[in-house]
Amino acid sequence: MEFIVEKIGMSRTISVPSTPVTLLKVVETKVCEVNEGKAVVAYSHSKKANKAIEGQQKKYNLSKDFNTFATILVSEKAEAGDLDMSALSEATKVKSSFTTKGRGFSGVMKRWNFAGGPGGHGSRFHRTGGSIGNAEWPGRVQKGRKMAGQYGNAMTTVKNNVVSYDAENGVLVVAGAVPGANGALGRVKVVK
Amino acid sequence: MRNKYIENFENTQLEGKNIPDFRAGDTVRLAVEIKEGEKKRVQDYEGVCISMRGQGTGKTITVRKIGANAIGVERTFPLFSDSLVEIKVLRRGRVRRAKLFYLRDLAGKKARIKELRK
Repeated sequence: MEFIVEKIGMSRTISVPSTPVTLLKVVETKVCEVNEGKAVVAYSHSKKANKAIEGQQKKYNLSKDFNTFATILVSEKAEAGDLDMSALSEATKVKSSFTTKGRGFSGVMKRWNFAGGPGGHGSRFHRTGGSIGNAEWPGRVQKGRKMAGQYGNAMTTVKNNVVSYDAENGVLVVAGAVPGANGALGRVKVVK
Repeated sequence: MRNKYIENFENTQLEGKNIPDFRAGDTVRLAVEIKEGEKKRVQDYEGVCISMRGQGTGKTITVRKIGANAIGVERTFPLFSDSLVEIKVLRRGRVRRAKLFYLRDLAGKKARIKELRK
């Protein structure tokens, strides 16, 4: 089962040892259509509206707020209407998928943790990647060579233990961090 | 302003915590629960609070004392941690700033703090 969530931010517990926690707000979601364990759902994100969205809202009888659509895994009992959140109260482990913070075109030191070279003493090797291969043989660069390039802004999934779930406010508290910025939307999948 | 959900989550944890009101410059005695193997015992730590930082459950205090052989010892505690059994304010100090890091450079009589009289 999956749920659309918004990352609120991080905090910690006062227990010994203290656990760092991330708070996730479960976004109100409406099921539009169920098909073999998968469902088309709608939720509110920004104020975007156009004729295509309006058409879908008319089709599924949704209010103007539900303007974003996604496909998520649901339980077999799911029906069109409000998404049933009760599975979260018994969850102990979740997989959280978010888009990581985009770092743009990054060098190898940031992107692949290369050590880099010395700063001074006449060294002319600082932050560049250095040699990328052998010689006339094999005459090409090995596949998978770590180089500079786009870093971040990619979907990443991590496993988190559930600390608590506040059904009243729809706040899921998980141990540890999840990728992405505060306020970003992602999804959690109940594993256990 | 902090997020209301984070505040809510932290406030439920801080309920029932009875922390006396004090600030940097005050002398405090902390009863710290420490674990030695399987056994737990409470150890006192006494010194001058030289800094208070953070908010909510992440709030910490730094307490400085002069240990054996006149060696300065500083320990930082999460103020609301369950390991702090008791906090007792022994003396109010008259200081003019919130962070007393200058005490690190002073020794002996120079490092004294006057008591606050009202």
